[in-house]
Amino acid sequence: MKASLSAPAGAARRPGKRLVSAEEARRLAARTRAGRIFAVVTFIPVVLAVALVGVLLLDTLLDTVSWQIVEPSSSTSGESFPWSAAPLGGREVIRLDLAAQGETPEDVQAFMNDPEELRLFEARGRIELMWRTEDGPFRWVVTNSRDDSVADIGLFGVNAYLSELRGELAEDVEDLDPAEGGLLGRLQGADLDGLFNRFANIGLLSSTLGEDQNLYLNPWLDLSFLTKNASRTPVVAGLKVALLGTLWVMGLVILITLPTGVGAAIYLEEYAPENRFSRLLELNIRNLAGVPSIVYGILGLYVFVRLAQIGPTILSAALTLSLLVLPVVIIAAREAIRAVPSTLRQASYGLGATKWQTVSEVVLPNAVGGIVTGVILAIARAIGETAPLLLVGAVGFIAYPPNGPFSRYTVIPSQIYNWIAENDVEFAHVASAGIIVLLALLFVLYGVAFYLRRRFERSW
Amino acid sequence: MTTPTVSTEPNTRANTHVGAKPFDLSQPSVRTAPVSDEHAVVSIKDFNLWYGNFQALHHVSLNIPKNQVTALIGASGCGKSTLLRAINRMNDLIPIVKTDGTITYEGVDLYDRAVDPVEVRRRVGMVFQKPNPFPKSVFDNVAFGPRLNAYKGDLNALVEKSLKRAALWEEVKDKLKGSGLGLSGGQQQRLCIARAMATEPDIILMDEPTSALDPMSTDRIEGLIHEIKEHYTVVIVTHNMQQAGRVSDRTAFMHLGVLIEEGPTDQIFTNPKHEMTERYVEGRFG
Amino acid sequence: MERKTPGMLGRARAVGLNKRADRRVGEAVIGTLLLLCALVSVVTTVAVVYSIAEETFQFFREVSVVEFFTSRVWTPLFENQNFGIAPLVLGTLMVTSIACVIGLPLGLGAAIYLAEFAGDRTRRTVTPILEVLAGIPTVALGYFALLFVTPVIRDLIPGVNLFNPLSAGFVMAFLILPTVTSISVDSLRAVPRSLREAGYGLGASKFELITRVVVPAALSGIIASFILAISRAIGETMIVTLASGGRPNFTFDPRQEMATMTAFIVQAGTGDQAAGSLGARSLYAVAAVLFTITLVLNILSQQVVRRFSEKYE
Repeated sequence: MKASLSAPAGAARRPGKRLVSAEEARRLAARTRAGRIFAVVTFIPVVLAVALVGVLLLDTLLDTVSWQIVEPSSSTSGESFPWSAAPLGGREVIRLDLAAQGETPEDVQAFMNDPEELRLFEARGRIELMWRTEDGPFRWVVTNSRDDSVADIGLFGVNAYLSELRGELAEDVEDLDPAEGGLLGRLQGADLDGLFNRFANIGLLSSTLGEDQNLYLNPWLDLSFLTKNASRTPVVAGLKVALLGTLWVMGLVILITLPTGVGAAIYLEEYAPENRFSRLLELNIRNLAGVPSIVYGILGLYVFVRLAQIGPTILSAALTLSLLVLPVVIIAAREAIRAVPSTLRQASYGLGATKWQTVSEVVLPNAVGGIVTGVILAIARAIGETAPLLLVGAVGFIAYPPNGPFSRYTVIPSQIYNWIAENDVEFAHVASAGIIVLLALLFVLYGVAFYLRRRFERSW
Repeated sequence: MTTPTVSTEPNTRANTHVGAKPFDLSQPSVRTAPVSDEHAVVSIKDFNLWYGNFQALHHVSLNIPKNQVTALIGASGCGKSTLLRAINRMNDLIPIVKTDGTITYEGVDLYDRAVDPVEVRRRVGMVFQKPNPFPKSVFDNVAFGPRLNAYKGDLNALVEKSLKRAALWEEVKDKLKGSGLGLSGGQQQRLCIARAMATEPDIILMDEPTSALDPMSTDRIEGLIHEIKEHYTVVIVTHNMQQAGRVSDRTAFMHLGVLIEEGPTDQIFTNPKHEMTERYVEGRFG
Repeated sequence: MERKTPGMLGRARAVGLNKRADRRVGEAVIGTLLLLCALVSVVTTVAVVYSIAEETFQFFREVSVVEFFTSRVWTPLFENQNFGIAPLVLGTLMVTSIACVIGLPLGLGAAIYLAEFAGDRTRRTVTPILEVLAGIPTVALGYFALLFVTPVIRDLIPGVNLFNPLSAGFVMAFLILPTVTSISVDSLRAVPRSLREAGYGLGASKFELITRVVVPAALSGIIASFILAISRAIGETMIVTLASGGRPNFTFDPRQEMATMTAFIVQAGTGDQAAGSLGARSLYAVAAVLFTITLVLNILSQQVVRRFSEKYE
């Protein structure tokens, strides 16, 4: 410390002697400038961090929309229906689609009355309100896992797609049939390099379509995304299974960690005698909080899945995640308990309350805001955890929602991981939609925690 | 959890205040018109208390008369609060405290192993320096103690009676459901007194109950202390000598953990027998 | 502190001051239950150590420790098994180094700005954003690394593999940034006002004060935040699994695919090795190394923090 102070000390002695000389004024200005530059330099990381959050959100959000060229299968009509034709969507669109395929009204009615047919439809098909089709904006489309996806074009990738097509066509001009020749001419005449005409070229994109092909602007993230089961076909893949898996796991995690974590916090704050054992407990909890989450996955794999033979089930996942967030819950609950002023405890003891009466009647009611906030933040952390659950069973294709603590499961983040790992352009859109849902869930939780923190904030 | 309010520091500083002459801890306490054992509701005999290695009370003996107000005075760090908290075993909450000697209440040594400190605190109420109502409604504050005991009688009547005795009823009877923290400082302290009285104790200990209050509120509390001694025995710690003079019947002066002198309040203030007491009441130190 | 006087129990009972058996039992039961809750954490630690140690021990009965630490080939899941952890450690070090080179200075810079320059409003806006950054699930960061950062890097630098430690390290830098910033801000703000005033009193400019007085005084807290961030980077799994790939490669070229320890654990743990096979056990051996490294780093940072808190309190 002394050494570092000596330098400014030397600098300070100079100006005191007489009025500042020109050289000294220059030096002074340089020092002030250095300070200002320093402020700007340290501001850059802040900008970068904020920018990264922004770019990440924007990129993920944009990835949830893409242009698709689709060849409808024989089980869908390939037609699109105006939004106003079936404002509530659902069954009405199926009816329209069946009629468009040439079914008689009696057949349509028979289909609609047959629960087995409808179940099959729901397993394979999906009713989408596409943002844009060739026929106009906001139109219903029935898609099906048997539909062929010809091309998937990013929201801003239209020009790139067209110029690639232009290159392909130009390579073998001789073999082109007249229609394609005309297309090549149009492509060659179009301006594909402009930064701002990506939407203007949608018309050109439409004119490249084959006979049976349709062009949709597909919002991968819509309400049906939340209610569809998992699928091996991107366009009908949904988040329902993972969403329910997450709800099951998190419900159990709350049931396990809330009493245990708060109990441990009460013990450490109110009961623990001051001795080596208590210090060891504290040290242990602090160190557990720093153990990488994947290590908890190994613990879960070895102890719960194999030794206890619970298998790769919801319960294993919940137990693993509970142990993972327990230190976080304990630390948060301890802080909340410590924030209750000791004068209140004294008042309670002074009235003849026992220790537990004091804890349950005075300490906990006044710490509840902090405890709940801490638990919500811990849950928010657990919801996003992927790695440990990959080891305890949340991996691979799970087609149906869980129905109890002992069923196989997947959760939102591991479902996202699996979609990314498919290494498929369309599954990447599905993954981004999943990420947006996950982030939205987290924002809600953070919002609630933030609200509770403000609500229970109290000045003593 | 609770930190001892006593430090070793005043030990040396107080000595320098007193003068060059070091103070002899082994002198017996000076007693004027002592209270006999049969008139005492609480009888402290040869009581010592340590915080770890620091001895905070030295061989204190004091009889506290029934239905009277006894004031404990002395410079800060003299052990008066410690002595007060010894009477309802609040010091037990500090893990490093050790005691010996006896404090007898109704013929029972409060420090005997058979005695439950929780029961002691139900019989000996306490009011603290800073008003510390629970962040609950006025009603729930007062009903806190009775509810702990699973009070069988009419809780509403008990709360009303306690609030009336604390001279707070008229001010809060329309906002019993309002938060106790919504009251003014003086009202909060009277609420705390009502809360202490609701457990129907025999003795109420007050640890500088007005030190955090404005003069008006202080005045009301002092008047209140006068009124409640009809029903309760009051022991009050105060560093304000005028207050001790105004509210108490008997006064005990302590210094460095030793009971120097005790007697009727007017005697202590007008005719102190010990030199230290005289210096203190004249405001020459402390 | 309590004494026993003959006959006192009777007298205490007579006036109702005696201890009540039911209440004492009730309190003791509750105390024990709470202690059990606290002991869950001890059981967790034991379970962590046991689950790793047991299989690691089995592993080293078949594989020599020397080979494990010196061989440069890691192919436990292939027909021709080789057990040299070096490529995995190198992969971890590569990603961590890239993350640290970017993330530590940025984190410290942001901390200095927030603690020394930022106004109240800026601080109140930026701090929650950093919290959001810290709260983004790592699978989302992995997606971002693989599908946004990697294409950009491949445009800028020729010869970069689709899976590479560069983009993983870059994104991880922003994962550890909030850790560095929040702990460093706390330690910078803990530098006592008197020390600052002394610095100003001696004629230091703000820049000189920060670089020569405040930062050196807060150095142990800053170092602790660095260590914690490194530990977090080493243990991070999803970003590297998605963006850095799964092929263990003993190379110092950051453009090549490199597997980290954590990526291997995921790979082996999600694969279909029979439990008890050498391939499955290699997972635990890698976990043992990973756990040891992060534990040492965590304890180290706590030691540093303890020294720092003693100084000013």
